Amino acid sequence: MTNRLLAVAVAAALLLAPLLTANTFFHHLLIQVLFWTLLGASWNLLGGFAGQVSFGHATFVGIGAYTTMLLYLDLGLPPWLGLIIGGALAMVLALPIGLICFRLRGPYFSLATLAVAEIVRLVVLNWESLTAGPMGLQITTLPSMRWFGKAVDWESKLPFYYMVAILTAFAMGVTWFVSRSRLGAYLLAIREDTDSAEAAGIDTVRTKVIALALSAFIAGLAGGFYALYFRYIDPDAVFSISMSVEMVFIAVVGGIATTGGPIVGAVFLVVISEIFRDRFQVGHLIFYGLLMMIVIRYLPEGIWGRARLLLPLGKDGRD
Amino acid sequence: METLIQSIVSGLLTGSLFAMIAVGLTIVFGVMRIINMAHGEMVMLGMFGAYWSYEKWHVDPFVAVLIWVPLMFAFGMAVHRYLLRKIVPGGELNALLYTAGLSLLIANLALFLWTGDYRSINLAYAAAPMRPFGISISKPLAIAFVMAVVVMTALYLFLSRTDTGRAIRATAQNPDAAALMGVNVLRIDTITFGLGTALAAAAGVLLVPSLYVYPTVGEILVVKCFVIVVLGGLGSVPGAVAGGLLLGLVESLGAVYVSVAFKDTIGFFLFLLVLLFRPAGLFGVGKS
Repeated sequence: MTNRLLAVAVAAALLLAPLLTANTFFHHLLIQVLFWTLLGASWNLLGGFAGQVSFGHATFVGIGAYTTMLLYLDLGLPPWLGLIIGGALAMVLALPIGLICFRLRGPYFSLATLAVAEIVRLVVLNWESLTAGPMGLQITTLPSMRWFGKAVDWESKLPFYYMVAILTAFAMGVTWFVSRSRLGAYLLAIREDTDSAEAAGIDTVRTKVIALALSAFIAGLAGGFYALYFRYIDPDAVFSISMSVEMVFIAVVGGIATTGGPIVGAVFLVVISEIFRDRFQVGHLIFYGLLMMIVIRYLPEGIWGRARLLLPLGKDGRD
Repeated sequence: METLIQSIVSGLLTGSLFAMIAVGLTIVFGVMRIINMAHGEMVMLGMFGAYWSYEKWHVDPFVAVLIWVPLMFAFGMAVHRYLLRKIVPGGELNALLYTAGLSLLIANLALFLWTGDYRSINLAYAAAPMRPFGISISKPLAIAFVMAVVVMTALYLFLSRTDTGRAIRATAQNPDAAALMGVNVLRIDTITFGLGTALAAAAGVLLVPSLYVYPTVGEILVVKCFVIVVLGGLGSVPGAVAGGLLLGLVESLGAVYVSVAFKDTIGFFLFLLVLLFRPAGLFGVGKS
């Protein structure tokens, strides 16, 4: 019951938040929060539930971003379709990547994901005929679209806000569904003890690949959104190690293996980075690093992970 | 033929410094089972140390190494003693994430203090390369290579001949058994982390005349190091040395015979192949 109330409250908040003010900076901030929530939620499915710490998730973001951009620029496909195809392509490419990396465990898995991400980044960087390499790709105008009879104003932030809000609601829905399902239980079993999970009859590789596919799909959607919102991408923006690492931080700071964790993590880290970006110009990531260390040291279950224990969220304690 | 010899020589010279960084990473892993994501930042700190001591006081980096190595050894011990020690029992993944946080903290602190500019120093004697047998060798790289060999030999003697060295190897083999034999494992962990940090910083100092210095340089170097230690087998010191030289060779030959753009990719492919087919490393000595 409390869960349902919480879900309705979150949905209402998402719907109404941008109407509080017409301030574009505030809208930009909300979009940033939801974008990072999406990335945190994506990483959380694999890293949080299944305990497979990937340091290469930017790969899927990059694939989504480049697919959306190229389908629009080269083939003139509508951006929303490109976005979904981008997510799907990220999911497809996740399969071979998963089959390679999941043969390894623990820190070895993390290193393998890092290596794969670097290979993909270097290929995209050097495949200039398709990707324009380090020059990046740019969209000058988005196609005119109508929504409930009104022309969509791409110069305002609102259409982007609702786009990312829908994607975030979808990602949180998937996470909630996974946390309630047999799949979620399998993933937790794998995280706690892969050998025992295997012995109990769980096909661990298959289960991990499914989690990775879901996770990659969401990351691909997020990448597509990034391309449309910023209208410019290059390999260092969407395929970078720092993007991969920041995704991990969002999920860990918020609380791994929870539905609400990524949004809490994203609020904290986006707000911190905006406050200090103004004050310090560069190096606001200092506080990211610091917060990460403090959370691991004193609050390993994350901010939301701890908070939800104090809230009456259903008798099994899951959110 | 000359091109081949040229690329082999320069590959081995750079490889020796990669090897030094990788040895630091691998002994920390061997003893504590932590992959230190902040290892590259230790190299970066060494580089900036050497850069500033040259800019402010005109101390040659090859002399400055004598100041910065002990300082960074102490810094590494302090990082372990006051930050990392509480985290390690929480498991490998927590430690991995914690050091990733530390890496971001140090790199961005450097960015804040010293800006993102690319800096380099010009040593007067480095202008003209040596030309033995018709090939050209950069003087700073040659000096760095000699110093790297000296440092590694010293490390080898330290690990094999001294009590502390033996205690480090014992802890790497089995911390519980080592503790039962009277080894103070926590102290050994701290010393090992200091040693790993000092090796990284030493390589950083020696690299300054040959490489640009900037706050995020550690990111690239640490990824190379991961490749090296996996090639050589995680936790193995001789493996890291061989892996470092091998990666230096692969990159240098790859740049000449395959393509400059894809020289890094070759290293990563090699890395994936080894991870998949020989996770204990090419020489089968690592711990998987």
